[in-house]
Amino acid sequence: MLLKKFAPAALVLASLFATAAAQAEKLSVAATPVPHAELLEFVKPALAKEGVELDIKVFTDYVQPNVQVADGQLDANFFQHKPYLDSFNAERKTSLVSVGLVHVEPFGAYSSKIKSLDELKDGAQVALPNDPSNGARALLLLQNQGLIKLKDPSNILATARDIAENPKNLRFRELEAATLPRVLPDVDVALINTNYALEAGLNPVNDALFIEGEDSPYANLVATTEARKDEAAIQKLVKALQTNEVRQFIQEKYKGSIVPAF
Amino acid sequence: MNLGNIDWPLIGEATVDTLLMTGFSLLFTVIIGLPLGIVLFLTSPRQMLSNTAIYQLLSFIVNVLRSVPFLILLIVMIPLTRVLAGTSLGVEGAIPPLVASAAPFFARLVENVLRELDPGVSEACRAMGANSRQTVLLALLPEAMTGIVAAVIVTAIALVGYSAMSGVIGGGGLGDLALRFGYQRYQTDVMIVTVVILVIMVQVLQVFGDRLVVRLNRK
Repeated sequence: MLLKKFAPAALVLASLFATAAAQAEKLSVAATPVPHAELLEFVKPALAKEGVELDIKVFTDYVQPNVQVADGQLDANFFQHKPYLDSFNAERKTSLVSVGLVHVEPFGAYSSKIKSLDELKDGAQVALPNDPSNGARALLLLQNQGLIKLKDPSNILATARDIAENPKNLRFRELEAATLPRVLPDVDVALINTNYALEAGLNPVNDALFIEGEDSPYANLVATTEARKDEAAIQKLVKALQTNEVRQFIQEKYKGSIVPAF
Repeated sequence: MNLGNIDWPLIGEATVDTLLMTGFSLLFTVIIGLPLGIVLFLTSPRQMLSNTAIYQLLSFIVNVLRSVPFLILLIVMIPLTRVLAGTSLGVEGAIPPLVASAAPFFARLVENVLRELDPGVSEACRAMGANSRQTVLLALLPEAMTGIVAAVIVTAIALVGYSAMSGVIGGGGLGDLALRFGYQRYQTDVMIVTVVILVIMVQVLQVFGDRLVVRLNRK
């Protein structure tokens, strides 16, 4: 009697569970609008086929995406590079980890005087951005090219005063990042953020003397908590962002202003 | 605040840069601004060489240069700076925009000093048969000397302030140091030291100028 009364309810419940299991797994990912959210939108259909329903939460701030993931409110985020993640973890005592690199918004070296690095003369003048993070990024790129050595090779806040070895006796000029394209004719080499280079009509792919590649420490990554980094849905997300289709999409849509880092 | 942490050679270098920028720009500002101020005065209405067309044109140029924010002048002048100074960077690159900004300012001050003089002086000269060149060189300028010296000091202090912005083109100097290390890198001690040096610099300029004015007045 009792059983008879509850049977339909149980049946409804059971079917509910069944559909839930068959339904896609939901993954909430925080991202900044360009290009991160655009890349996520691009992979959304492919992920749906894999059984992962992507819920993209767009943020324009750089703190909340990490806070929300650390608190478990969101599953992952995609907006930052490793140096930022490290300093965030250190400051906020969080344990967010990178699950995979996606793209670099590369920093490039430009010149209107020389065509290749071999032509760089002894005592050449090199212009760098004068703010802490971009200045250090420029120095790290020069170090990567073997032009200088920093006292602490991984110092992400290095200035021209932290150079230990400078075999070419390069002379450094530190100035406002946005002014760099304008003073290009006055220096031998200038290190310029891609956004400013593009605005000044420079093409990072064709015009740069050298540019950060996929090995850049400033590659943008997908991050989640240490505990969840091996979860299937998160791994699927990373895989979906590192396909040839995404590579083509990046190359066609952003025309060199960002480069794939996988 | 620990003074031991401060990079003193860096501060010394910046102090020298500020002095060089201020000194050279002041020199060129006076060379260009003084004649400009005299011409503005002479061509203005009811003066010896009154000429509305020239006065209006010069006055317009002076006003335009004085209205452009210095930071913008610094950037838009880059191609011209390159021709004048050979580079648009560093201390040399900062001087042409500093002069372009300060010379019109100084010219206006000179014009005002001359306007404040007793018109009887130049009338007496004219009555004695002096031409306008003689009137300016022998009567007006000596009369106006204390006022012009005071204007030079005001301009020099304004230049110390403007030079702080030259960091945009890598001009260096104390203002740039205060901004880059004090503000952007939270090294408050560097900011305090640079500001104290700037205060001392301005103070010295003003005291020196005031004494000079007093001495000239006695003569």
